[in-house]
Amino acid sequence: MKRIVILCAALCAVVSLSAQKVVGKGQVSGSFESSSVYYTPDKTVERPDDRFGSNNYLKVDYANGRFSAGVQLNAFLPALVGYENLADGYKFYLASKYVQWKDRNFEILVGDIFDQFGSGLVFRSYEDRQLGVNNSVEGVRAAYNFGRYVSVRGLYGRPRLNTDYSKTWVRGADLVVSLADIMDAPAVNFTLEGSYVNRYQNLNQAPEWMQEVDPSTIDPETGEGLNYLQMEGISPNLNMYSGRVNFGWQGLTVSGEYVHKSKDFFSTGATKGWAAIAELGYNYKTFSVMATFRALDHMATPINQFMNDSRYAIANSINYIPALTRQYTYMLANLNPYQVIATGEMGGQVDLCYSYRSKENRYRYWNFHANFSTFYSLKPFESKKRSLFWRDVNVDVERQWNKKWKSLILYSYQNNMEHEAHVFVGDVTHKFTRKMSLRFELQYLLSGDERSEWTASHSEGDWVAGLVEFNIAPQWSIYAQDMYNIGMTKRHYYNGGFSYTHNRTRVQLSYGRNRAGYICSGGVCRYSPAYTGVNLMLTSSF
Amino acid sequence: MKKLFSLLCLVVAASVATAQQLPDVKVENAQGKIVSVRSIANGKPMIISYWSIACKPCIQELNAINDALAEWREEADLEVVAVSTDDARLKATAKAIATSRGWEFICLFDENQELKRAMNVSLTPQSFVVDGEGNIIFSHSGYTPGSEQLLFDKIVELKKGAKKKK
Repeated sequence: MKRIVILCAALCAVVSLSAQKVVGKGQVSGSFESSSVYYTPDKTVERPDDRFGSNNYLKVDYANGRFSAGVQLNAFLPALVGYENLADGYKFYLASKYVQWKDRNFEILVGDIFDQFGSGLVFRSYEDRQLGVNNSVEGVRAAYNFGRYVSVRGLYGRPRLNTDYSKTWVRGADLVVSLADIMDAPAVNFTLEGSYVNRYQNLNQAPEWMQEVDPSTIDPETGEGLNYLQMEGISPNLNMYSGRVNFGWQGLTVSGEYVHKSKDFFSTGATKGWAAIAELGYNYKTFSVMATFRALDHMATPINQFMNDSRYAIANSINYIPALTRQYTYMLANLNPYQVIATGEMGGQVDLCYSYRSKENRYRYWNFHANFSTFYSLKPFESKKRSLFWRDVNVDVERQWNKKWKSLILYSYQNNMEHEAHVFVGDVTHKFTRKMSLRFELQYLLSGDERSEWTASHSEGDWVAGLVEFNIAPQWSIYAQDMYNIGMTKRHYYNGGFSYTHNRTRVQLSYGRNRAGYICSGGVCRYSPAYTGVNLMLTSSF
Repeated sequence: MKKLFSLLCLVVAASVATAQQLPDVKVENAQGKIVSVRSIANGKPMIISYWSIACKPCIQELNAINDALAEWREEADLEVVAVSTDDARLKATAKAIATSRGWEFICLFDENQELKRAMNVSLTPQSFVVDGEGNIIFSHSGYTPGSEQLLFDKIVELKKGAKKKK
């Protein structure tokens, strides 16, 4: 209770502020985010032992000229269900801190580092609160630009692993050479890039069974033998190398990256990894096409390779391997998202976008978007064919009729290893006045495979969903939605609530039943158990 | 730790309000080149709006701003900067969408969300109004149809304020 009182007092202090602040000659800015749920009884959903959960984040930055510093404090009072990796029970800790000096061409940061090399295939440290991920590296980072021609940066430190730091060390360097600037071709973007990342983990952190000598390997003469680590060739040092090329001219963009990774421990044994990614894009006026291809083999790179508790695994990653598939904003289209098969997959996606606009009236236009993504196993299985992991063919058409009416229809055909689904969505917005509007959605998921209705518990057959949202700009929004399974469970997942926004502060209060499933952000998914409850969300910045 | 937390809040609460400058962060532009955010302040007031592919109201807001932009520019000259926070998964799609929608904006791509973190954006959509010198003078979270007008009203206030100074 004491903690909640302190939290509320702090919250009031923060929320009462509406603009950035000056302390001395510098500036203080920051943000506060809070999500709290009171879990209510529900006959069909198990109620958590803790009837209340609250995830809170306070970030404060100070900047004075070229100097800046900041901290972030996290409070879990206790953590919401599904965020067990952050805290079993109450947790209150300093989640990040930094001091930084930035000159025109030079910068150095001491503290917790958020950075990314290339597309993140060899290194990405980032925070995603929705997922409960913060794998920042506590250490030193320095960067230097040799004019516009060459930029180089390096970092060294220990990565954060959930609420603590890992006993591993990461060091890396990234180099970007701008050939376009060297050749004095400002209309062109042409860069050659490369990265190196090393993870050091003392092998005495390995489980005991890995360190024990295998009796079958003991030499009778010397009495010496090998343990599992030696037999598999697992080294304390893991190395990753990446080479990249980017080219852009007028509407054309081409880029490619190749990654090599030394032997890393997997449950199937120690294996080397590699990845290749290629991207081709072209746009002309309001038409654009973008195609991405990627193949990868054993590219999951944990911070702690010996951690085997899946509850804590979500943030246990040095690099970033997203699912290259469409992410929807509609409930039923996101019901069964694809998750990367990091041990071996190949595939890609293509996006086609076109907008047709009336020359006389800016409020009349069509937006067309088609997307196709598919992924297969990297190597053939027993059938001697590559297995299909995922396929999604989708198209949406948006029509702005006039200042008052707007509509969108979407169709998606999704096929993964276990089921097929056809998803239909209709979305209409009507503006009554400049400030008052109503939006409603209707969605239907038609399960394409009869077996999935009864055998694949994650699919559960056909679904229907609807949403109604009434807005009074710029402050009020009230909504109600329901997702109903008409196939197997006949269960409703309802939700309703309202939000109030005043400048930088937003409060949302809602009540509903949440379905168990994967919550995905970027390419990472977190499993969230089912719950019913009242949710209060507050965000503010100053 | 409790004391540290309380102290931080007091420091913040005790300080005096003023405008904050755009942070010194570099991001990718539509041509794929790395540019400083401060370098885009060219003397005109700006609306900086954060968006991502998975944020439906963000795209609604940018579409609404684009629809009204020609009318707004008759009243006050301004730039609109759309900052995509999509990571490696969706950056390519974000570029395709940004180009095809005919947005008359400066498009930036904040792939590892360094700018988002520096501007303390924890929820999207969030939009900022910035004066010609790069000072942030207003910010608004969330989007409901019609709330884009609030941003333009602040631009008009800026213009009136500049005239009075002259």
